Amino acid sequence: MAAPRYVADPGDAIRLVALDGLSALYHLPSGTTHIVAPPAPEILEALQEGPADAAELLARLRERYELEERADEAIGIRLIELEQAGLVRRA
Amino acid sequence: MSGRDKIGDDAFKPSRRTVLYLGAAAASTVVTVRPALAQTAGSVLTCEIPVPGPHAAGSYIAQDGTPVPAGTAGAVPPLARPLRGEEARILLNGSTPPGVNPGSAQAYANYIRRLQSGMSGFTCYASLQMPR
Repeated sequence: MAAPRYVADPGDAIRLVALDGLSALYHLPSGTTHIVAPPAPEILEALQEGPADAAELLARLRERYELEERADEAIGIRLIELEQAGLVRRA
Repeated sequence: MSGRDKIGDDAFKPSRRTVLYLGAAAASTVVTVRPALAQTAGSVLTCEIPVPGPHAAGSYIAQDGTPVPAGTAGAVPPLARPLRGEEARILLNGSTPPGVNPGSAQAYANYIRRLQSGMSGFTCYASLQMPR
């Protein structure tokens, strides 16, 4: 079974305000505010390049950041969190 | 060459060596803030509506809800204290909350329905109309 691909809303659908180590994120389509911690903003930013499955998303993040060894296990959990919050959806 | 390290805009861009921990957080990285309206559900019950408001202090309330001069025939006297949100809700549902003269209830309910933005008690009344 193919790995699910995820997509995020365009950048102009989100207002992000950096707080002290966290960010307040306002999602215009749903009118909902979220408090997000890294790596959520970074994942949403990486998805601006287009839909991606977990492996592709990790590759994009590795271009920008150094990731820990077990990042491939954690990325799926982070994507599910974002999906449950309505910030990403399956493409 | 000045010999100094280059310090410019690039200094504020994320370094490619920045470490991003995807799995370090044991707790969720996303916490959704409940809409403010949902959190005000409790306060709706205790917000206040003066009948009548300061703009018509001392006036009686006609059966259609309009403030009229004291003693006007058919009008009811003003309430001695503001209605709480829950009492207003009871009135708007056609019942009479404790402490309110049943014969005056309809006039008070109509007064509340006539409240407009900017009038004392309007925000409370508007909150009562919001679905919960």
